Amino acid sequence: MQDIIQRSVVIQATKESIYDAIAHPERVVSWFPERVEGTYEKGEQPILDFGDDGRSRILIVDAVPCSYFAFRWVPGSGNFEGDVRSVQTTLVEFRIVEEATGRCTVTMTESGFASLPAEIATRCFEENAEGWDPMMRRLEMCLRTIEAGVS
Amino acid sequence: MTESRVFKALGDPLRLRIVQRLSSESHHTISTLSEDLGLTRQGARRQIQVLVDAQILRLQPVGRETRVTLDVSTLETAREWITSLERQWDQRLMALKTLVEATPTN
Repeated sequence: MQDIIQRSVVIQATKESIYDAIAHPERVVSWFPERVEGTYEKGEQPILDFGDDGRSRILIVDAVPCSYFAFRWVPGSGNFEGDVRSVQTTLVEFRIVEEATGRCTVTMTESGFASLPAEIATRCFEENAEGWDPMMRRLEMCLRTIEAGVS
Repeated sequence: MTESRVFKALGDPLRLRIVQRLSSESHHTISTLSEDLGLTRQGARRQIQVLVDAQILRLQPVGRETRVTLDVSTLETAREWITSLERQWDQRLMALKTLVEATPTN
């Protein structure tokens, strides 16, 4: 059984623009949460607002311009808004590696599932079971809108 | 909820080794597992019981021995939870890719 989720995607863009989309609050809302509340910087605990799908406080643990961005949270788009340092969390890391000029691999790693205490894992599972589908639909709509805008 | 018990039960290096051992060789008893892992029979029994409680392992008495087998369906359920999280990250990364590639560079 795995403790880690790792996914990669190749993006035809510079590492600067990819990093901006992940690490800047006004850009990240275009693909991840609907809104960001609070200071979206290393060491801070902003809230990611997923609209109808709940709100989640994150702790930004590191931000290295153009190559690395990491935060801790209770996995899923659930409703944990307390102090992230006070509970068991998973670590979400984004690594950007430039493969060629204007082409990068972005790798997302989420780790720490095995260390989640039972009550949090249970709540995550219940929230996610209800929460995934609306979020997928929202993202699909977002993708379609962006695609329509490009073509 | 089964998933949370499964993840908690597997959140221990020794118990993870027991599960790995059983997934590569299916013929094991509490005695052979404790020998393999260098544990006392009592120590092995205690760790195995945590995995039995989470329905990851099944015990079956065979003569004077206790056979230990994996309950694959439980691991499958936990695996599905992880798969749903993976799917969500795939969707998010695809949204990130689409967004960044659609944005003209300065």
